Amino acid sequence: MSQTIVHSGAETHTGTAHHHELSFFHKYIWSEDHKTIAIQYLFASLFFLLIGGLLAMGVRYQLAFSGQPIPLIGSLLPRWLVTDAGAIQPQGYNGLVTMHATVMVFLVVMPLLVGVFGNFLIPLKIGAPDMAFPFFNALSFWLFFASGIILLSSFFVPTGFPAAGWTSYAPLSANGAYNGSQAGQSLWCVGIFINGLASIAGAVNYITTIINMRAPGMKMFRLPLPVWALFITAILLLLAVPVLSAAAAMLFFDLNFGTSFFEANRYGQPLMWQHLFWFFGHPEVYILILPAMGLVSEMLAVFSRKPIFGYKAMVYAMAAIGVLGFVVWGHHMFVSGMNLMLSSAFSFSTMLIAVPSAIKTFNWLGTVWGGSIRFTTAMCFALAFVSMFVIGGLSGIYMASTPVDLFIHHTYFIVAHIHYVLFGGSLFGIFGAIYFWYPKMFGHMMNEFWGKVHFVLSFMFFNLTFFPMHNLGLNGMPRRIADPSLYDFLKSSQPLNIFVSLSAFGLGLSTLIFFVNFVYSMFKGPKAPRNPWNSTTLEWTLPSPPGHGNFPVTPTVYNGPYEYSVPGMDQDFLPQNQPAPEAARVAVH
Amino acid sequence: MSFWRSSFARCGLVLTVLLAGLGTCWADPRTSNLWWMPENASEGGVYIDQLMWFILFLTGIVFVLTQIVYIFFIVKYRARKGVPATYSHGNNRLEIIWTAIPTAIFIGLWGYSNHLWWDVLHSTPPANSLQVGVAAYQFGFSFQYPGTDGKLGKAEASFVSNDNMFGNDPSDPDAKDNFTSSVLEIPVNRPVHIRLDSKDVIHGFYIPQFRIYQDMVPGRMIDWVWFTPTKIGKFQLACSQLCGSGHYNMKADIEVVSEADFEKWYQEKAKAVQPQPGAKLTSVTETKDQ
Repeated sequence: MSQTIVHSGAETHTGTAHHHELSFFHKYIWSEDHKTIAIQYLFASLFFLLIGGLLAMGVRYQLAFSGQPIPLIGSLLPRWLVTDAGAIQPQGYNGLVTMHATVMVFLVVMPLLVGVFGNFLIPLKIGAPDMAFPFFNALSFWLFFASGIILLSSFFVPTGFPAAGWTSYAPLSANGAYNGSQAGQSLWCVGIFINGLASIAGAVNYITTIINMRAPGMKMFRLPLPVWALFITAILLLLAVPVLSAAAAMLFFDLNFGTSFFEANRYGQPLMWQHLFWFFGHPEVYILILPAMGLVSEMLAVFSRKPIFGYKAMVYAMAAIGVLGFVVWGHHMFVSGMNLMLSSAFSFSTMLIAVPSAIKTFNWLGTVWGGSIRFTTAMCFALAFVSMFVIGGLSGIYMASTPVDLFIHHTYFIVAHIHYVLFGGSLFGIFGAIYFWYPKMFGHMMNEFWGKVHFVLSFMFFNLTFFPMHNLGLNGMPRRIADPSLYDFLKSSQPLNIFVSLSAFGLGLSTLIFFVNFVYSMFKGPKAPRNPWNSTTLEWTLPSPPGHGNFPVTPTVYNGPYEYSVPGMDQDFLPQNQPAPEAARVAVH
Repeated sequence: MSFWRSSFARCGLVLTVLLAGLGTCWADPRTSNLWWMPENASEGGVYIDQLMWFILFLTGIVFVLTQIVYIFFIVKYRARKGVPATYSHGNNRLEIIWTAIPTAIFIGLWGYSNHLWWDVLHSTPPANSLQVGVAAYQFGFSFQYPGTDGKLGKAEASFVSNDNMFGNDPSDPDAKDNFTSSVLEIPVNRPVHIRLDSKDVIHGFYIPQFRIYQDMVPGRMIDWVWFTPTKIGKFQLACSQLCGSGHYNMKADIEVVSEADFEKWYQEKAKAVQPQPGAKLTSVTETKDQ
């Protein structure tokens, strides 16, 4: 691969020396420092995580206790959501489902992975002073924040949240008379459009930074895996997000200006929306998991004290996922009424994309094999990620098989599947990464004991919540049904629904432990040393937190990212910016 | 320290298994149907269930093996004093093996699935099929049966309107004795060939016991779905595509009856029929847009 080394102002840049006192506004509000922007993203998306979680609680409350008023807050909620007595209405339920998914995908998991860790880690890990376009970076955050406010503001319009699902299938979404929330749906379109602008600005920034601003010696195949993952993710973002933005704009026109892109009764094409949406939507699934895979790979190597098993195989697998990710979107549409031949073709490509995921899983097992595993909280979450991802990956095979998909397509089976990938996968990876990089971000350690409590409870309640959903799906329970007890064939699974809801409440409560730990540690956590985990990558050579401009002297990179337990060395890690000692007998990468 | 930590992790694991077990017991042996699919009631469903079991078997093996190996590694390779980690960057032979084997398995699975998809589930409907038109609207289903001539007649999505929900071609005389029903009444062991359309938004035609799902898309007449019910009884058709505020309760009854009972019901209905409002003869020329 590329041997090109780009000197990014290496000789002249002197980090803190160049630092001058910034005004409050430029330091905390319109900051162009990638680390501050990462932290802004972190606070904003954790806030949205709370909102998204509350919406999920509403969904689960309705499925278990349909028609019963919500205790305490029921009567305070707006009338589009609840009845006069305070019980959730069917249309309000559709809104909750729609916004739970929208918030979690666009305002939580995506910004947490790409916004927070992309911003924080890329410059620090490649030895750069900042992003290539700091102004765009700041702009990206504020566009993202605005999109979140716009999306959530539909809570206050009289017709309430958009109610056509996060997939917003037209023509339901394209006509206020059909979906009952013209204003909410319009706000959704605007919010998603602006959110897309933020993603595109970020993606351009990441790609440019990684290609042009690597420190001397940082070859592409010496990049830490999170950086590789974010690089591939940024390419996916750049190619996929504009399609969604365009589709959202068209939908907005259909809703408000009388065009008819998607409405069949006026010669539009309902399926075109699905093709556009999933052309974005499937790469999006990988946008939501690839960075988590990168972060987890790193934590597994650090805490196993081992080089990552099959580094290049990991990179090639991610690249393969990135490419194949663009030709599998039709597997969301096997039963949509599109040509049956297309279903065959998409089923084939979907089977193929399972292969790189399998490769990654085996390499994770290989990384843990022969290790010397430290069970920190971050590692626990990373280990759990692999295990949960295996479940989520395997359950995907059922849907990839077209005939089985006929049975389970729109049931809770797929709800279970998505949550195993997105919660047990991405969000567990994110939790682990927050515990892992928190010291570098804030200069304090998070509390390990309460971290473990958070982990054990989350892991338990996560599985108790989402595993039974497979069974609900197999029993035929469709998604997005406000009251399953109205169906004869679903009456028998109502006890299971109650069980799932109670577990979900447990999961919600256990996440609060994390929030308390997060805030408390910021003030009272023990001071973090430079390198609390004895890690090899460049960010750990800096003080915690690193100063403005990052590296006082641009580092030179001599080794691959994961040189742990190199034989013949006194310490069990070889930082990337230290040449391998003579005594080290094995040729490091 | 590391010992305490690893046993901590293991405690968590054991606790999870225990709780999951407790949950299982608590969430009830009252019904036979809590944990698995509802009993299959169609011919094609038999094959789908076989494929499902096959995938369960396959993924089950992979799941159990990977998790056992993984947990074994986690426990065995916990940090211990004086035991350093193995220094290894990987193994190319292993990479090739675990790329090649899954690829072969997945392509094989695709072959099996695709055979079923084409040769069984979407083969040409048998000639003796009962033709039924199904129309969906916010928020309900309606069913159309051929009159005494046994033919539904031509239909096209462009004809679908409030007066002609099934999109019958007004120039086709075959459609004029069709009759409608709010219940899907079908005879057992006879193939049913349905023609699906929607008046407003996308709805779903979903019958879990028949292992059947098909979206009903406005602007498209979908005519490739057919199935053969194999059990007499009452079932429910559920709309499984979010379609608006009334979606949660959009359903229809299905009654699978003996051939004799069906004949009786059919004759009564067919006799009483007046030509459909949407089926009146006019001189609209036939258009082909499908």
